[in-house]
Amino acid sequence: MSIGADGANVGEGRFVVGQRVRTRAPRPSGHTRLPRYLAERHGVIERVHGLFPLADARAEGRTTEPPHLLCSVVFESRELWGEASAGFRVSADLWDVYLEEVP
Amino acid sequence: MTVARPHDVGGEEGFGAIVREPDEPPFHHEWEARVFALNRLMLQRGVYNLDEFRYAIERMDPAAYRAASYYEKWFFAIERLLGEKGVLP
Repeated sequence: MSIGADGANVGEGRFVVGQRVRTRAPRPSGHTRLPRYLAERHGVIERVHGLFPLADARAEGRTTEPPHLLCSVVFESRELWGEASAGFRVSADLWDVYLEEVP
Repeated sequence: MTVARPHDVGGEEGFGAIVREPDEPPFHHEWEARVFALNRLMLQRGVYNLDEFRYAIERMDPAAYRAASYYEKWFFAIERLLGEKGVLP
């Protein structure tokens, strides 16, 4: 376990399948692969892909930043668009820096 | 204060219907194929990476972004990155 440039923990095992997580607020500026409609929402870790270069860093030419844990997170449509939305799920591949543990 | 991200409109409404084009060709103009090839070459040569390319599109002026076609956005990003990387004056 190490600490990334943005202060987030880096390493395998930080998130596990079935774990509930909450997505963070979007970065105030710069590139991100966390779309706004998935920001600050609750989801469940569906799959852990392993360590991959973080797009947010690569987009700014920071290619020496250590890779981050990439997870597939599944969200209920009601969590994203309210109770009236039909019952379906949305899955997205998100890096650990976008996620926080839910106590 | 969060920057405007004109591309980040997932789940939003009010953009009208998606028009599907039957038997749509890969390119509508010859210059689009050239832009496609140029971008592949720049990525292969490592002049810039795919995330830098995506970010260059996202940094377009929001009004220009909305007015531009798909490959117009690509051309804008290539031109900007080649300038920023010092390839073009």
